[in-house]
Amino acid sequence: MSFDQSEASRAAQPEIATSRRPQGRRYLFVLPGLASGIVSFAITLLALVLVTFAMTRLSPIDPALQLVGDHASQSSYQQARVELGLDQPLPVQLGIYLKRLLTGDLGVSLSTGQPVLSDIARTFPATVELATAAIVVASLVGVGLGILAVLKPGGAVDAIARFVSLVGFSTPIFWLGLLALLLFYARLGWLPGPGRLDVAYAYTVEAVTGFGIIDAFLSGQDGAVADASAHLVLPVLVLAFYGLGGIARLTRSALLDELGQDYVMVARAKGAGRARIVLVHALPNIVGPLLTVLALAYAHLLEGAVLTETVFAWPGIGRYLTTGMFAGDAPAVLGATIVVGTAFIFLNAMTDLAVGRLQKRRGR
Amino acid sequence: MAAAVFAAGLSGIAAAQAATPANALVVAQSIDDAVSFDPAEGFELTTVQTFNNVYQRLVESDRKDGTKINPAIAGSWKPGIDGKSLEFEIRKDAVFASGNPVRPEDVIFSLTRAAKLNKSPAFILNELGWTADTVAGAISKIDDSHVRLTWTADVGPAFALALLTAPIASIVDEKVVSTHVTGDDFGNAWLKTNSAGSGAFVIAKYQPHEALVLAANARSAEKPKLATVILQNVPDAAARRLQVEKGDADVARGLGADQVDAIKKDGKLTVDAVPSARTDYILINSKASAELGNPAFWKAARYLVDYEGITRDLLRGQSDIHQAFLPVGFPGALKDNPYKLDVEKAKKILADAGIKTPLKLEFPVFKDQPFLSVAQSLQSTFAKAGIELDIQPGVASDIYARGRSGKYQITLRYWIPDYFDPHSNASAFAINKDNSANTVAKQAGWVIPELTTETLAAVKEQDPAKRVADYEKIQKQIQDESPFVFLYQGADQVVLGKNVKGYVQGLNADQVYYDGVSK
Repeated sequence: MSFDQSEASRAAQPEIATSRRPQGRRYLFVLPGLASGIVSFAITLLALVLVTFAMTRLSPIDPALQLVGDHASQSSYQQARVELGLDQPLPVQLGIYLKRLLTGDLGVSLSTGQPVLSDIARTFPATVELATAAIVVASLVGVGLGILAVLKPGGAVDAIARFVSLVGFSTPIFWLGLLALLLFYARLGWLPGPGRLDVAYAYTVEAVTGFGIIDAFLSGQDGAVADASAHLVLPVLVLAFYGLGGIARLTRSALLDELGQDYVMVARAKGAGRARIVLVHALPNIVGPLLTVLALAYAHLLEGAVLTETVFAWPGIGRYLTTGMFAGDAPAVLGATIVVGTAFIFLNAMTDLAVGRLQKRRGR
Repeated sequence: MAAAVFAAGLSGIAAAQAATPANALVVAQSIDDAVSFDPAEGFELTTVQTFNNVYQRLVESDRKDGTKINPAIAGSWKPGIDGKSLEFEIRKDAVFASGNPVRPEDVIFSLTRAAKLNKSPAFILNELGWTADTVAGAISKIDDSHVRLTWTADVGPAFALALLTAPIASIVDEKVVSTHVTGDDFGNAWLKTNSAGSGAFVIAKYQPHEALVLAANARSAEKPKLATVILQNVPDAAARRLQVEKGDADVARGLGADQVDAIKKDGKLTVDAVPSARTDYILINSKASAELGNPAFWKAARYLVDYEGITRDLLRGQSDIHQAFLPVGFPGALKDNPYKLDVEKAKKILADAGIKTPLKLEFPVFKDQPFLSVAQSLQSTFAKAGIELDIQPGVASDIYARGRSGKYQITLRYWIPDYFDPHSNASAFAINKDNSANTVAKQAGWVIPELTTETLAAVKEQDPAKRVADYEKIQKQIQDESPFVFLYQGADQVVLGKNVKGYVQGLNADQVYYDGVSK
């Protein structure tokens, strides 16, 4: 691990503290933490619901008119308003929604005609699949590039890393997606086009988990897993390319920052090489901020990358949310926001916990 | 760079890429608009284009010439002597995909539920006087193969037949649907995503925003040539183009003019330009201000549109100049286009009428293309006469809501007929007795009691030649003196693989047929 004696003594301290505390008290100590966590989670979620609800109602979109269209008679329109509960005062509408929400009922989407819960069960896994693969690729390549750049600042890799970050940061992602499709799908034919599965499989593979690769595996069809994986490659690479710029830059600047610290000078004085200093001494010290940034990036991807999902015809939650928004589909927008928001809060809490642990272990 | 390395490494995985399966038609289009596949409710392009493939009506519009009405579930029919009823004989071999024969009870159930549900397209049945409250008893069984339809509205059997060609008049399998009823929904929740019809296909699978899979109905009288039709949701038009060029889709819909141009140049695919009944028009709110209520302003506006430039440069092949409310292909449609861009003439008309310029007007427009480009063209030509159009992009429901509430000054809209009869359009543009019904004329604040009487007389007219003459007269008046400026009539460009044969699309929005398609 990293640098030596002081580390060991610091790490020992919390252990002593906990071992001194009697078991019962330790239990009591965790409980309020958990309870306050749940309370703060509930409050955040409620605020999220309230704001989203207000936004769906304040938007200029009339859901009833969106549903029935302009040719419909006044009586059909009025009926739709009543069916959607739009004739009720806003607080009543909110009350009804919250009451249903407590029983786990997210309502029926206006734009798909399906229960929002089943829509989310279909679209969220698609996004999770994409986001997870993308964040893994982005982290590996981004951190790798950042390290390589620091190993030889001003060198070729550094230049490439900076170029990639710049391009990844400044290129509109839908354009990048289309370009990738044009090159790797249309011209070279290396990878499949839009969608999650080839038509040969698409409608015979049953959506059990909602995760393309897992469902393909469960279906037991020859080549289905390979096909699902191949369909994942382009959107994942585009998303990863987009995200890795920031990760590479952060890795690079945080490492350079660390390299200016006293302990690095000590290590250098002891005769450690640059590679050893960067990898063994500096890198572990930037894991905390790096983790925070990665978690944020991951959470951001979980919101659904609307443009990528659109270009690659990927039926994820980002598209669901956006099409819902344009259709004035309040149940869909609220439901999707709650799920994405929960994932966000959960991810945040987990990151805080992990970073906290890490800091505890490493001493502040 | 990283992408290239990864892609190279993974290229081996993607071996299973080939043309589409031989027995399936893969259609790349957007299906995001789909709300309901229940024919009593569905009123979006995607669902309406599915109904002809999944359901049958008693009678149907001819695929090539929509003015002709052909037998479908009904083998024959005759009007009642009272002039307000029709008697249909149900074909002996008419059978649903479930195997149930089509009975008079199914006709009664289907039409009654459509009126009672009172969803978006119910206004079509309202034309017969059928509403949720009045439809009971309007349709009755004569015997096991005959059914009688009666109506109270002052319209003749020819018009009633035209209404019955609309998707909402599709006949559903009562026995199947009644097993899926929840509360008093007449099976609406279930039919939103399932089918119970007698058409050439059945809905095999529907995943919202993803795909609609139609499977051949083995019991269909005329078996479809292909086993499966897959409507794949590819929301991005550029991605659709790549897919059809690559052969991963057999048909692509909704491509932009640029994309179609490129495909035409390339010559590897067929571009089918199908005339559509859609007409685009400028709608002026005559109640918004004294200037906008002045017929001279409406007249001047007609000379401030670069009709040729818009159709030639912006809509290339996707529209033709058309300046009347009935689209070419409908009986009585006016085909001459008397108006051209003439800024000087427009200026003179405005000056003669004492309309002072500069004039600034709010111009809400659909946020999508090609509306925005057309709006920009109008903005530049109107500006030449001192009229500044302030383009305000918005979503459809917002633009409609502003129309309904009269909170707009001038806007750009389109109209698609709901059934194959001139009245479908005439009832929108030429009826507004006293601002009581929601017509386009009402949205323009244009009160026209005399024209309303003429229009209501035309729909009753039993002599076809006289009826055509009536509509020509009404159109002429609207062409010259209304707060509507008709611009052009649409053409749908459908891109097909060279091996795709027998694809048929008609003039009206719902007329898309997959049963004759082969590869």
